[in-house]
Amino acid sequence: MARSNNRSTTAYTFAAILLAIVTAANMFLVFYLFNSISTIGRNTSTTMNTINSVNGELQSINQRVLQVVAGIGNEQAQKGVIASIDTSFDSIEEKLNTFENYEGLSDATMKRFRHARVFIEAYRKRLNTVFDQMGSQEGLGDGVTLADVYTQDINPLKTTASEMLVASISINASDTARRQAKSAKIFIATEMIMLTILILGELAIFLISRRAKRVNAELEERERNLQEVGAKLKSTRQKASDLALTNLLTGMKNRYALDNDISGRLESDRFNIAVFDMDNFRMINDTYGYEFGDEYLAAIADRLKEEFGDVAEVYNITGNEFCFVFNKEYSESQSMAFVQKIHSVLTSPFTVLNLTVQLTASGAAYHYLPGDCLNVNSLLVKLDTTMRSAKMNGGNMVNTVVNM
Amino acid sequence: MNKMKRKGVLRKIALCAVSLTMLASATACGKPQDTGGKIAVICKNEKVSFWDEVKKGAVDCCDEMGYELLYYCAEGDNDFASQIEDINDAINKNAKAIVIAPNDTTELNETLEKANDKGIKIVYINSKANYDGNVSFVGSQDFDGGAVAARNAARVMFSTANESGAYVGKVAIIGHTASTADLRITGFKATFSASLGQYIAKMKAQAAAANEASGSGVPAESAPAQGAAAAQGGAAQGAAQGGASAGTGDSGSGAKAMTAEEQQAMIASFFIDGQRCATKEAAYEEAKKILENNSDIKVFYATNTNTTLGVCQAVEESDLSDTITVVGFNSDEEELKYIRTGILDGTIIQNPYNMGYIGVRYAIQSSNGESVTGNLDTGVTWISAKNINDDDIQLLLYPEKA
Repeated sequence: MARSNNRSTTAYTFAAILLAIVTAANMFLVFYLFNSISTIGRNTSTTMNTINSVNGELQSINQRVLQVVAGIGNEQAQKGVIASIDTSFDSIEEKLNTFENYEGLSDATMKRFRHARVFIEAYRKRLNTVFDQMGSQEGLGDGVTLADVYTQDINPLKTTASEMLVASISINASDTARRQAKSAKIFIATEMIMLTILILGELAIFLISRRAKRVNAELEERERNLQEVGAKLKSTRQKASDLALTNLLTGMKNRYALDNDISGRLESDRFNIAVFDMDNFRMINDTYGYEFGDEYLAAIADRLKEEFGDVAEVYNITGNEFCFVFNKEYSESQSMAFVQKIHSVLTSPFTVLNLTVQLTASGAAYHYLPGDCLNVNSLLVKLDTTMRSAKMNGGNMVNTVVNM
Repeated sequence: MNKMKRKGVLRKIALCAVSLTMLASATACGKPQDTGGKIAVICKNEKVSFWDEVKKGAVDCCDEMGYELLYYCAEGDNDFASQIEDINDAINKNAKAIVIAPNDTTELNETLEKANDKGIKIVYINSKANYDGNVSFVGSQDFDGGAVAARNAARVMFSTANESGAYVGKVAIIGHTASTADLRITGFKATFSASLGQYIAKMKAQAAAANEASGSGVPAESAPAQGAAAAQGGAAQGAAQGGASAGTGDSGSGAKAMTAEEQQAMIASFFIDGQRCATKEAAYEEAKKILENNSDIKVFYATNTNTTLGVCQAVEESDLSDTITVVGFNSDEEELKYIRTGILDGTIIQNPYNMGYIGVRYAIQSSNGESVTGNLDTGVTWISAKNINDDDIQLLLYPEKA
C-alpha cells in the first residue's frame, strides 16, 4: 500500500516537473522565435533602405553624367557637376561600408553585393578616367565622342552595378522571407511538439491516476480478505491451543495448563493446592464400561466446576485425578474447609445414565511455601505420594503434605 | 501480470509520443526544399568557353534566388535543331521561363511562340530571334564591341606610331563565320575610320604648320601619310597637297578639299578583309597569308576566340608582335596568356557571366509578374595587360572569386 502510494506520488511529481519544464521551454522558445523573426524583419528593412538609397544615388549620378555628356552648361558648371558626382560616390562608399558591416546577411547576398560593389567602383574609376581625359590635351582620343563612350563604356557599367545591387536586395528579401518562413515553421513545429507533450502528459497523468485508483481498490480488497483470513486463523489457533490445555472429556484444564499456570509461581508464591482421586475407579470401568466411566467423570467434573469454580482453579490432571489451586485470598484453614467440602462432594452419590453410583475418594492438600519445589512435577509427586499413602491406609481420606 | 500490463501501456504512450512528434516535424518541414520553380537556359555552343561563363551566371542566380536551373547548350552556332528540342523539353518540364541565345533568327519562332502561349516567359540573351514575344533582351551590342575594340586599337596604334615615327599602316580583319561577326566588323570599321580620319587630319594640320614654319620645304616628305601604303599614297598626297595648297587655311579645309566619297574610299583602303574563319587553324593560315602579302600591317583585328588565337599564333611566329597591334574577342585562358606575353594587346569581352546572371534574373522577375527592362546592354569590356588585374576585370574573368 505504502509503496504504491509512493510510486504514484513520484509519477505526479514527475509529471508536474515535466509540465513546468515544457511550459517554461515553450515560453522561452516563443520569445526567442518572436525575437528572431522581428530582428530579421528589422535588419532587412535597414539593409534594404541602405541599398535602395545607394541605387537612388547611382541613378542620380547617371542623370548628372548625362548632363555632362549632353554638354549642358559652361565649363565651370560642368566642373561643379563632376565634383558633385565625386561627392555622391563618397557617400555611396560610406553606405556600402555600412552595409558590409550588417550582421546576419546571407552568403548569397554578400556575394552579389560584392559584385555590385566592384562594378560601382569600376564605374567610378571609369568616369574619373573619362573626365580626366576630357580635361586633358589629348582628349578622349581621335574621333571618339563622349556620347559613344557613354553608351559603350559607362552606361553598361552603371547598369550592371545597379542590376547587381537590386539583385542583392531581392536575394536578401527572399532570404528573409525564407528565414521568416523557416522560423514560422519551427515555431509551429515547436508548438505542435509542446502540445503533443502536454496532451501526452495529461493523458499519462489521467492513466496513472486511474490505474493507481484501481490498484488501490484491489489492494484494499486484498487487505480486507487478509484480515478475514487472519481473524479466522487466530480463532483456529486459539482453539488449537485451548485444546492442548484442556481435557477433552471433562472440558477442564489439563496438566499442561497446570504447568503453565503455576510453574512461574513456584519461586515466589505461597498458595494452597490439593489433589483428589476417586478410589477404585477402575472398578466402575470394569463393571459398567468406559463409556459409563466417562459419563461419571463428566458428571463429577460438572459438579466440581459448579461448586468450586469460584474458589479455585480446577484441573483434571489424569483420568480421575483432580487438582485444585485455591485462589490467593483464601487462607490455609479456609482452603482446608474447601478440601473437606470437595471430599464430601466427590463421595456423594451421582446419577449417571439412570444409575446411582457412589465411590470414595482420597486426596492430599498442601500449603505450598515459596521455594518448596523446583518444578511442577516434583510438586505433583509430593502430592501424589501423600495421596497414595492415604489410599494405602484404606482410602477415603485427605492427608496433608508435610514439609520435611 | 499487472506489471506487464503497465509496461504495455507505457510502451503505447511512448509510441504515441514518438509518432506524434514525427508527424509534427513532418508537417513542419513539409517539402524538403521548396524552389521557386524551374528556369531553362539554352545556350549556343558548348565548345565555346563563353557559354560556360554564361552558365556560371545562370547557376549563381538560380542558387541565390532559390530556383532550379535547367541548362541546355547546343552543339554549335548553327545547331538550332537541338535548341528546338530543348525548348520543348523545358515546356514539358514546366519551366517558368526560358532564357535563350537563339542559333537562328527564324527556325525557333514557332516553338518559342508555343512556349509563350503556355505562359512561359522568354528572355533572349546575346542575340535575338525574329519572334518578338520575349520580355527582354539581355546582351551586349556587337557593334559596340567592335567600336570599343577599334577605339582601343587606334589608341594603341597611334601611340606606338608616335613613338616610332612610323605612322599608319594597314588594318587586317579576320572575322569568324557566325552572324555576330558582321556587326563586330562594322562597328570596328566605323569607329576606326572616324579615329583614323581625325588622326590624319590632325597630322596634316601639324605638317601644314611645320611647312609654314620652315618656309617652303618639300611637302611630300613631311606629309603624315607618307608612311602609308603605296595604294593610299596618291590620295594622301592629294590630301596633303590640298592642305599645302590651302596654305594658311585651317586644317579642316584640307579634308574638305576631298569629297566624302574620296575620303571614304581612302579610309576603306586601309582595311584588309581576311577570309572568314571558323577554326583556329584556318585563322592562323589566313593571318599568315595576310602577313606574307602585306608588309605594312599595323593592326590585326579578330572577332572571336578561334580567330584571335589563330592571329596571335601567326603574329607570334612572325616576330612582328612589337609593331603589330592585335585586338581580339573573348577571354579564353589561352587568350589571356597571349595578353600576358604581350602578343595580344587587348581583347573585348561581352561580360558573359553578367549576361547569364541578369538574363536569368529577368526571367525570374518576369515570371513573378514584375516588369523588367526590355533591352539591357550588359556592355563590353576592354581587357589589356594594363587592366587585367583590376578588381572589376578579375571579377568578370573569374566571377566565382567574389
